[in-house]
Amino acid sequence: MAAFLRTISSSLRTGLVGKTIQPSTTLSAARFSTKAEEPAGETRPTVRKPDEVARSHLTDFGRYVAECLPKYVQKVQLTSGDELEVLIAPDGVVPVLQFLKDHHNSQFANLVDIAGLDIPSRENRFEVVYNLLSLRYNSRIRVKTYTDELTPLDSAYGVFKAADWYEREIWDMYGVFFANHPDLRRILTDYGFEGHPQRRDFPLSGYVELRYDDEKKRVVCEPLELAQEFRKFDLSAPWEQFPNFRNANPPSETIETKK
Amino acid sequence: MAGREAARKVVHQVRPLLSVDKDEARKRVINLYKTWYRQIPYVVMDYDIPMSVEQCRDKLREEFLKNKDVSDIRVIDMLVVKGQMELKETVEIWKQKGHIMRYWKESQDPKPTDFLSKFFNGQN
Repeated sequence: MAAFLRTISSSLRTGLVGKTIQPSTTLSAARFSTKAEEPAGETRPTVRKPDEVARSHLTDFGRYVAECLPKYVQKVQLTSGDELEVLIAPDGVVPVLQFLKDHHNSQFANLVDIAGLDIPSRENRFEVVYNLLSLRYNSRIRVKTYTDELTPLDSAYGVFKAADWYEREIWDMYGVFFANHPDLRRILTDYGFEGHPQRRDFPLSGYVELRYDDEKKRVVCEPLELAQEFRKFDLSAPWEQFPNFRNANPPSETIETKK
Repeated sequence: MAGREAARKVVHQVRPLLSVDKDEARKRVINLYKTWYRQIPYVVMDYDIPMSVEQCRDKLREEFLKNKDVSDIRVIDMLVVKGQMELKETVEIWKQKGHIMRYWKESQDPKPTDFLSKFFNGQN
């Protein structure tokens, strides 16, 4: 039986080879021609390289902003190569944003987003980040400031109308109070919700759970009771996660400003 | 050293939230209490909750007295701000009946305190 199979397979092989001899030469020739055109294989990872010209423009502009507003600007830095960040004192939110919006050489007329950050170990635990976009110069800038639970920040509503909902979001998620906001109230959480969910000390599972009560014919709210304590899993790997990105752009570089 | 540290903390200036002194903060709290107090009959009527006006007023008093020991002006102001927002949510009927009834915590049994009822509940 095995011998029979062997003969068949060998005859098949010879038959196939005999048939494909002619086209195989043309195929290999075609392959040769494409190989000659193919560039050398990409070995380095695709790390975005910052444009040096743009970098120098941003550096100059950052220095200029620091010189114009020495009272408020505390630090100017470039993050991930080519993103300009201006770190300001909390009193200076409105003047700095007004300057960036109205100055002829910046015209950051769009407020893209306001983000919050909570680092409980700091004295001023919240960071508030304003992302601005200048359509005129096709450029972005980030303005960062800081505050704590009880210190109010000035609302940017007077400068950017878009700040209305963004600031409500920050208020709802972090509990940062914005003075002079026209309509500061919750935006994402339910009525009657207590606490600010994006704070680091707010538990992942929350404090309460809701359920429909059949007797009372309405939704009731009860303190959460878990059968098992929330466990902390250590998910960090012992090896390096992205060795190819070891030489990527530095997270932030400070721009020297005259003081 | 500790004294100096304490002194530094005392003179540390903070930006006021709303009120600049204790009297003003107190005035705000009483104002908020009065507004809630006057609003309660309308709340009972609008939301059609199975509670009397007196019960609601007791609950209001209880909620305010929960924070009677707060002394920091800014914390008082923050609580007043949140109370004000809650009042607005209630008055504008953005809330629903369930949200109002949440203050009473009707579905929650009080936690057992003595040994035997704890044992029956499976707690220890």
